[in-house]
Amino acid sequence: MAERLLEVSDLSTHFFTYAGVVKAVNGVSFSLDRDKTIGIVGESGSGKTVTALSVMRLVPDPPGKVVAGSIHLKGRDLLAISEDEMRAVRGNDIAMIFQDPMTSLNPVFKVGDQIVEAIRLHQGKDKREAWAQAAELLAKVGIPDAKKRVNQYPHEFSGGMRQRAMIAMAISCNPDILIADEPTTALDVTIQAQIIEVVREMQAQYHSGVILITHDLGVVAEMSDKIMVMYGGRTVEYGSVDETFYNPHHPYTWGLLGSLPRLDLAEKTRLTPIKGNPPDLIALAPGCPFSGRCGYERPECRENWPELEIVGPEHGVHCWIPGEERLATRAALPRFKEQVA
Amino acid sequence: MLTYITRRLFQLVIVLIGVTLITFVMMFVVPGSPGQLLAGKDASPERIAAIEHRLGLDRPLYVQYGKFMWRLVHGDLGDSFRLGIPVTTLIKQNVGNTIQLAIAAVLIELLGIPLGIYSALRQYTFWDTALTTGALIVWGIPVFVLGLFMQWFFGYKLNLLPITGAGDNFLAIFPASLNSLEALILPAVTLGLIEVAYISYMQRAAMLEVIRSDYVRTARAKGLSERRVVLKHALKNAIIPVMTIAGIDLGALMGGAILTETVFARPGIGLMIYHAIGARDLPVVAGGVLFATLVYVIANLIVDLGYAYVDPRIRLEG
Amino acid sequence: MTDDQVRQQGPGATPADVSERQSEAEQPAAAMVSEPGPAQKRSLGLWADTWRRLKRNKLAVVGLVIITVFLLVGITIEAAYIFGKNLTPYDPNAVNYPLSPKGLGAPPSWSHPFGTDYLGRDILSRAIISTRISLIVGVIAVAIALAIGLVLGPVAGYYGGAVDSVIMRAADIFFAFPYILFVLLLLTVLGPGFVNVFIAIGLLSWASYARLNRGSVLSVKNMEFIEAARAQGASDLRIIFRHVLPNTMAPVYVAIAMGVGGAIVTEAALSFLGIGIQSPDASWGKMISDYLPYLPAGSWWMLFFPCLLLVITVFGFISFGNGLRDATDPKLKE
Repeated sequence: MAERLLEVSDLSTHFFTYAGVVKAVNGVSFSLDRDKTIGIVGESGSGKTVTALSVMRLVPDPPGKVVAGSIHLKGRDLLAISEDEMRAVRGNDIAMIFQDPMTSLNPVFKVGDQIVEAIRLHQGKDKREAWAQAAELLAKVGIPDAKKRVNQYPHEFSGGMRQRAMIAMAISCNPDILIADEPTTALDVTIQAQIIEVVREMQAQYHSGVILITHDLGVVAEMSDKIMVMYGGRTVEYGSVDETFYNPHHPYTWGLLGSLPRLDLAEKTRLTPIKGNPPDLIALAPGCPFSGRCGYERPECRENWPELEIVGPEHGVHCWIPGEERLATRAALPRFKEQVA
Repeated sequence: MLTYITRRLFQLVIVLIGVTLITFVMMFVVPGSPGQLLAGKDASPERIAAIEHRLGLDRPLYVQYGKFMWRLVHGDLGDSFRLGIPVTTLIKQNVGNTIQLAIAAVLIELLGIPLGIYSALRQYTFWDTALTTGALIVWGIPVFVLGLFMQWFFGYKLNLLPITGAGDNFLAIFPASLNSLEALILPAVTLGLIEVAYISYMQRAAMLEVIRSDYVRTARAKGLSERRVVLKHALKNAIIPVMTIAGIDLGALMGGAILTETVFARPGIGLMIYHAIGARDLPVVAGGVLFATLVYVIANLIVDLGYAYVDPRIRLEG
Repeated sequence: MTDDQVRQQGPGATPADVSERQSEAEQPAAAMVSEPGPAQKRSLGLWADTWRRLKRNKLAVVGLVIITVFLLVGITIEAAYIFGKNLTPYDPNAVNYPLSPKGLGAPPSWSHPFGTDYLGRDILSRAIISTRISLIVGVIAVAIALAIGLVLGPVAGYYGGAVDSVIMRAADIFFAFPYILFVLLLLTVLGPGFVNVFIAIGLLSWASYARLNRGSVLSVKNMEFIEAARAQGASDLRIIFRHVLPNTMAPVYVAIAMGVGGAIVTEAALSFLGIGIQSPDASWGKMISDYLPYLPAGSWWMLFFPCLLLVITVFGFISFGNGLRDATDPKLKE
């Protein structure tokens, strides 16, 4: 029986700026079990990163604030504990790696130093032990010549190596949950696969749960067990990866999948982009944020946020289009025409 | 790092040659220079010609430049028109006070560092706005105006501190008496205050930028206390550019803060140049400027090398 | 120490860099064709955007007001001069001994709001014509520096290589001199006077504009529209001055604001030292220098007003310049 590590319920995080309230995350819920990976997918501005930062309570305050919802880590309510207690959680129970390894490592300190810092903070080891452990970690994530590398500075590492170092830093304290925010976006395509591999290996070794945030569906498909599709700060669809990819129910998910180039479609089939632009998070409609861009909206879409509709085993969607009609509409799309229903 | 040093030294040589060349051009090539100046405004053309011949000013330019450089390299900056003594002697007499003032001013301006840091950490609060506005106002005050104000306020109104002169020195640089120390205060504070404004503004800006950086976010994500994040991660990055400003200031001030020294009638390189200007004493002016420039250039070099040493990106890549 | 010009290296930001809200990297999978939609209404024209950001900076707005007043007064007086008229309340040079009891001038009064000086001259009038002098010096000096710097800078950046090296070395040399002393040296040689002042300041401050601009040019010259212009057969000169230069101007405007402020202070300092403006012209710096001996006798107003005006004017240029820089910095989040 999988151990439930994280339970996020109805999370809402808003930013109170001079220009208005930016509703970055609205009523998002998901859960994560040990040894499992959930992929959070969406475009820029969909709220995926803010969700992750909210879990870590790293949302800059001011101007940001978690205004509603709960976050339970192994039963413990992270929103109720003190800042000191939360600091003991960060880097220790939950660790995070960021998008750009070049700027995410402090250029004036050695790489080893930055890993050792986390180790000594949470595990209380002495310098010698910690540095030895740091070198081991670097070797574990696949950096050759780790003993030498541990004394080097970030700029002496290549992009891929830096990201590996960040992973090493993140797993140094054996975290229950690893959050990877766009870990491959800033890297070459050839390196991307390697990094995902490293994350997978570490997950297997440490039995952590992984929250993988990305806009790259390929990466999601490769690594995740579950997927949560976000748009305009809301979850529009979630489910297992297989379910969601082969039986997508939300028009936005169709758009995402539909805009992927495919080798098996007929030649000269045009790519189908999603028309329109991401929503303005300050002037959000009370209803579905995708209305106006959806193409299939009905009058209630703008005004009311659709309730959760279960459409498959552990597969839910928020959409006003009735189930039957949805399937029919989907079947008519070029992308899904040739798919076995 | 070695490549960097070599490149920098090479640049130094070029700059020094260029500086001497420009000084030479200003002194000897610009119309109306030495001969005219020496002879005076109403001298007859024959008299001017005679003086020029005696001083070798009618030789071809490159010859003159050669002689100029030759003497320069041997530490000969010529003789003062007004006083007849070597310029270098004058400089030696005055440099002690100038160094004293420079060091004092820079020590004061270093206060800008904690001010800037504090302001950055308390962004948007009253204190921050007050400091930023204050810094901007003070920064713009011309140094001689501030000096006059200081004189008036602390000198006349409160009659607290001496407003002119300088005292005796120990080892040419250290104040040797209470009087000497008192005379140092107002000029040093004047210079220092304006620079404190500048430095705190720059330090605040640097700190703000660093606080928002990705690596500070990473440090927080590791669970480090805010204090640790600021003092260890942010500070080291933010302080480097500001230290270089202080270093360069020191170099600039060593060359004589002419305005401050004039306002406070304080002996030093600056005042020396000021008197020379009034008397049209070109060798002293040129000599003083050359000296100040040399010091400034060397200070810049030291600061650059220091910066290269502290920043591992440059230190290791060269 | 008016090294503000040297310090203004600027962020190297160009209008072309000012990014819109969405970052390129985060587009799901393949094409996300965007047609103009409601969410794009926020990105107005470039200068409208800058103006909007500038307005929020109260200090910068104050600075702009100060600069505007300064410019208006200066231009008006100058225009009047050209037509041979004098618009000041009194003749600034009219010596009037009765108005200066004991040769110490008269304190501010209703008829003479700024008081009179030791020769009985109206200080307000003198202060006003000083505005004209400061304006002319500031503008022309910066114009000269720009004329040199905005030619050498783009040329250095565009051609690169040896040309770039030579020009940048020359800039290094000009930067090596402490600014005030440099100008002083040149003025000692040229002789004092109104015209020599702005020539000296202008000639010796080209380097910061050149270096600043060169940086922007380096990034703009590789952009595609330059490639396109070249493909159309445009000559190098045309490309540099018609296509590259206009796109690198944002930080230069900031430098100009700071530069004019700096030139005004430099002129004041030079006049204070006696080597700038000469009688009968008046400038704030010269007034300060002239009236200094009268301070111990209690005639504070003679010094007070020139100092005040000088400080306010410089403050105006600096805060506006700073505000402009912040408003055009793409990295500055709002």
